Amino acid sequence: MQTLQLDSINKSFGNLEAVKELSLAVAPGTIYGFLGPNGAGKTTTIRMIMEIILPDRGRILINGAPNTSPAVLDRVGYLPEERGVYRKMKVREALEFFAELKGLKKSAHKKKIDAWVERFGMAGVQMKKMEELSKGNQQKIQILTTVVHEPDLIILDEPFMGLDPVNAELVKEVILEQKQRGTAIVFSTHLMESAEKLCDAICLINKGRKVLDGEVKTIKRGFGRNHVILAYDGKSDFLKNNGVIESYNDSGNYVEIKLRPGANPQALLAAAMQHAEIFRFEIAEPSLHEIFLATVKEA
Amino acid sequence: MDKMLTVARREFLSRLKTKGFIVATILAPVFLIGMTVLPQFFLFLKSDQPKQLAVIDQTGVIFDSLAVSLDDRNAAGQRVYNLTRHEASAETLPVLEKTLTAQINNGELDGYIIIPAGILAAGRAEYRAKSVTNFFENERIENALSRAVRAWRIQQSGLNAEQVRQLVRRAGLRPIRISASGREEEDQGRTEGLVRIMVMFIYAAMLVYGQIVMRSVIEEKSSRVIESVIASIKPFQLMAGKILGVGALGLTQYSLWAIVMGLLSLYGVRVTSLFNRGVTSASGFSMPSVAPEILGFFILFFVLGYFLFSAIFAGLGAMVNSDQEAQQLVFPVIMLVVIPFLCTFYIIENPNTQLAVILSLIPFFAPMTMFARIVVQTPPAWEIALCFALMAATIVGIIWLVGRIFRVGVLMYGKRPTLPEVIKWIKYA
Repeated sequence: MQTLQLDSINKSFGNLEAVKELSLAVAPGTIYGFLGPNGAGKTTTIRMIMEIILPDRGRILINGAPNTSPAVLDRVGYLPEERGVYRKMKVREALEFFAELKGLKKSAHKKKIDAWVERFGMAGVQMKKMEELSKGNQQKIQILTTVVHEPDLIILDEPFMGLDPVNAELVKEVILEQKQRGTAIVFSTHLMESAEKLCDAICLINKGRKVLDGEVKTIKRGFGRNHVILAYDGKSDFLKNNGVIESYNDSGNYVEIKLRPGANPQALLAAAMQHAEIFRFEIAEPSLHEIFLATVKEA
Repeated sequence: MDKMLTVARREFLSRLKTKGFIVATILAPVFLIGMTVLPQFFLFLKSDQPKQLAVIDQTGVIFDSLAVSLDDRNAAGQRVYNLTRHEASAETLPVLEKTLTAQINNGELDGYIIIPAGILAAGRAEYRAKSVTNFFENERIENALSRAVRAWRIQQSGLNAEQVRQLVRRAGLRPIRISASGREEEDQGRTEGLVRIMVMFIYAAMLVYGQIVMRSVIEEKSSRVIESVIASIKPFQLMAGKILGVGALGLTQYSLWAIVMGLLSLYGVRVTSLFNRGVTSASGFSMPSVAPEILGFFILFFVLGYFLFSAIFAGLGAMVNSDQEAQQLVFPVIMLVVIPFLCTFYIIENPNTQLAVILSLIPFFAPMTMFARIVVQTPPAWEIALCFALMAATIVGIIWLVGRIFRVGVLMYGKRPTLPEVIKWIKYA
C-alpha cells in the first residue's frame, strides 16, 4: 500500500488551472521530491493533500484511505511554507497544543515531547515564551511540531527556505532518520540541488502539470551519460563555437555541458586546457536542474 | 469535537492568564464603584469645611428663620454655614457689595446671599461666591431659604403653620408593574435602571468579546501560524473553538463581576451612603433583584448575541491582514451594535409601538431591543418566539457564510479583498 496516492487531481482558481490531472504515488520509507519552479502548483497540491483546500476533481488517499475521512490527517506531519509561531505562548504549551491538535492525548504526548525537546537541545527553554526564542530556535520548534506525533507521512513545503545552516542540517537529519522508521517524506522545493542529494524519487511539475516522475536513478539513466562537469579557472572561450557542445550552463568557474550525440569528451578537455586551468573534469549524468530545463523546453 | 475543545481551551487559558485580562477584571468594578462614589466623596469633602456666609436681608425679617433652617452639620458636628447678618437699603447696597466682595477675595468670607425685600411676595434671592457650581450646596441653601420665606408667609396669613403643613402634604405614587406571570412588583425606577445596565452588558459583550475573536484570528493570520493549525483541524472547528473559548472567557468575567456585585448588595454595603449624610439623593448601588425569567432571557440574549457577532467578527478577521485594516471594515459592524443600543432608549419609553415591535424583531438588533421590551413590558409570546426563530436562522446563515469566507480568507495574504472577491471565496470553498 502506498503511503500517499493522488489520482487525477484538478484544481482551478477562476480561469487559472493551478493543478491539472496530477497523479503520483509515494511508498513508505521513501523521500519524495516535489519539484518545480515558483508558481508551478506545488503548494496548491500540498494544501489539497492536507485538505486545506479541496480539489475540484480527483482523489487523495493516505494509507489507502481518503484524506477526508476522520483522523487520517492525524497521521501526517506538515511544515507549511508560510510558518509561524504563537508568539505569546510558552514553548511547552504550544508543543502540547499542536500535539493535541494531532489527536494525541495528554498521557501520550508527554513522553514524546520530552524526548524530542531533549534531542533538539531545547529542554531549557520550554517555559519561555515563543517570542523570547531566537529565530533559529523558533524554527526548531516548528520542525519539532511537524514530527512530534511520529507520523506516517511528513510533508515539508520548501523546508530549506529561510533556515539557518544548522537547522537545515537538522531537517536533513530528521528526514533521513524518519525514512529509516518507514515514514514517507514528501518535500517540495524549487532548489534542484537539495532534492538531488536527498530524494529517492521525484515528481517534476510545471504550470500545474506533471512533466516527469519516477526514481531519480531511473530518470537520470534515461537521459544518458552525455554530460560533462568542468570546474575551471580562466577564460570560458572554449565553450563558444565548440563543435562537440550541444548546450551548456556556465556559472563562471563551474560549467555543466551537454555533448552532441557521439562527440568525444576528450576533445572538449583538450580545448578547455588551452584556455583555462582545469580542476575537475567529470563525465556524468545530467543534474535534475538540466533534466528539468530540458523537459520543460520540450513540453 | 476534541480538537475544537483544544482550541477553545487554548483561547480561554491563554487569555485568562494575561495581565490585561486580570487587570480589566479587577479594575472594571473598581472603576464602576469609583464612578458612583468618588463624585459624592469629593462633594462631601468640600462641604465638610465650615463656611462664612454674609446675608444681606433687605426684608429685615428672614434672617433668624434662615439661620435656623440652614443648620447642616458636618461629620465633626460643626455648623457648615456660619451666617452673619447685614442690612442695606437700595442706596447702600452697592457699597456693601463691594466690601463683601473684597472680603471674599482676601479669604475672610466664602460668599454672600442677597435677599431682596420683594422675596416675601415673589422673586429670587442671589447667592454670590467664588464657586457656585456645587449643585447640592445650591439646593440646600435654596431649600432653607424657601422654608424660611414660607414660614413667614404662613405666619402673616394668620393660619396655623401645622395645619398648613398637613394641608399641603404631598400625595405619593407607587408604580407597580404587572408582569406576564401575573405577579405584581413594586417599581421605583428600578426596572428602567436595571434594563439599561443589562442592555449595556449585552452591548459590551458583543463588541468587546466579538473583537477579541477577530483579533485572535488576525493574530494567527499575521504570525503565519494559521496554516499549521488548519492542517490539523477544520477551519470551521477552529472558528467554533475560538468563539467558544472567548465566550467562556466572557462568561467567566461577567460571573466574577456578578459575584462581586451580589456580595456587595447582600451585605448591604452602601458605600456611597457613608459619604452622603445630609445629601438628598442617597444612591447606593445595591443590586436590584432580578426575576429568574428575566435573568434567563438575559443569558439567552447575551449568548445568542455574542454568537452572532463573534461569528461576524471572525469572518472580518479572516478577510484582513492587520488590526489597522480591520478598523476600516469593522465600522459597519459596530454600527449594527450601536444602533440597537441607542434604540433601546426609545424602546424603554415606548415598548409597545409598531416601531418598537419592528426594531425588536431584526435579528441583529434583537439581543438588546427585544430584551429591553421583555423587561419593560413583556410582548406576546408569539413575538418572542418569532424573534428567536429569526435569530437562530440568521446565526446559522451567518456561521455558514463566515465559515466559507474563513476557509479561504485565512490563507489569503496581501491586498484586502473587495466585496466581489469575497463572494468568489464563498463560491470556492
